[in-house]
Amino acid sequence: MNYLLNGPVILLARLILGGIFIFASLDKISNPDAFATAIGNYHVMPFGLENLLALILPWLELLSGIFIIAGIMVDGAAIMIIMMNMVFIIAISQALARGISIECGCFSVSSPGEGDNIGLITVIRDIGYLTLAFLVFYRQKYQFEFFPKSV
Amino acid sequence: MNTRVPIVQAILLVLISILIGIGSNIISSKPIPWFAVELAVVENVDTKSEDPILAAITLEQARDFFDESVLFVDARDEGYFEAGHIQGAMQNIFLMELIFNIEEKQSKNTSLVIYCGDPGCGDSEQLAYDLKDLGFTKLYVFKGGWLEWSKAGYPSEVGK
Repeated sequence: MNYLLNGPVILLARLILGGIFIFASLDKISNPDAFATAIGNYHVMPFGLENLLALILPWLELLSGIFIIAGIMVDGAAIMIIMMNMVFIIAISQALARGISIECGCFSVSSPGEGDNIGLITVIRDIGYLTLAFLVFYRQKYQFEFFPKSV
Repeated sequence: MNTRVPIVQAILLVLISILIGIGSNIISSKPIPWFAVELAVVENVDTKSEDPILAAITLEQARDFFDESVLFVDARDEGYFEAGHIQGAMQNIFLMELIFNIEEKQSKNTSLVIYCGDPGCGDSEQLAYDLKDLGFTKLYVFKGGWLEWSKAGYPSEVGK
């Protein structure tokens, strides 16, 4: 277990998570209207709040992704990635449980109909990210972290 | 404020994201409304009118349109379409192809009903706005969608 929480595994986890979250944010940042529709499809946001969320969430993904790779506030970035993934898992699971048939809106939102539908695979994938983020959060060695500086 | 505390870092991240997210929408050339607004349902559909329209319709109104042989467009994904759709509805695989297919049948100023899965799905609305941007002027979004239509036992079909 110690091996998992040290050195290269953590660095790799940071790179993977960062890459995925940066990649996932780009299309949403350039298409907030399409992303708002994708969020709306989940039927979990009251009062039309999906628009505000569609404006803010992609930036949170991008910043968390950049920061976790660049070694800036790694703890905070890991917490946000954990929280986002938990929310995604809940949102997708409730949609699956209610049998509503929707697109994921996870990565690409600008080209609907390309078949990125939600399914059990999506949930498992997000649980994988969640595990990686937990590894990063509970790391025992602080390498390549620049703010706050690793002591 | 101690930036070594994880939760402080997390809150900072959220605050920065809120600032950038809201700021980018303010300076954006294509800003979106801060809150999502629902499409209003039209009481009386006046098909004779020449005025452009983009409005929501109810199940009964959708049935009237169906009986008048108005073209229906299914905004859902391929798999859902093949599992069952409103009889004669056109499938939306790719926007440009859809427009081509519609224009083969009718002009941009002819009524068009768009629907998706259920009253809460947004794909029909999104597609309606896309079509409006591309010059279509008579767009009706059947909010109840496939769920209400199939429940009512109205004419439907499966397959491509």
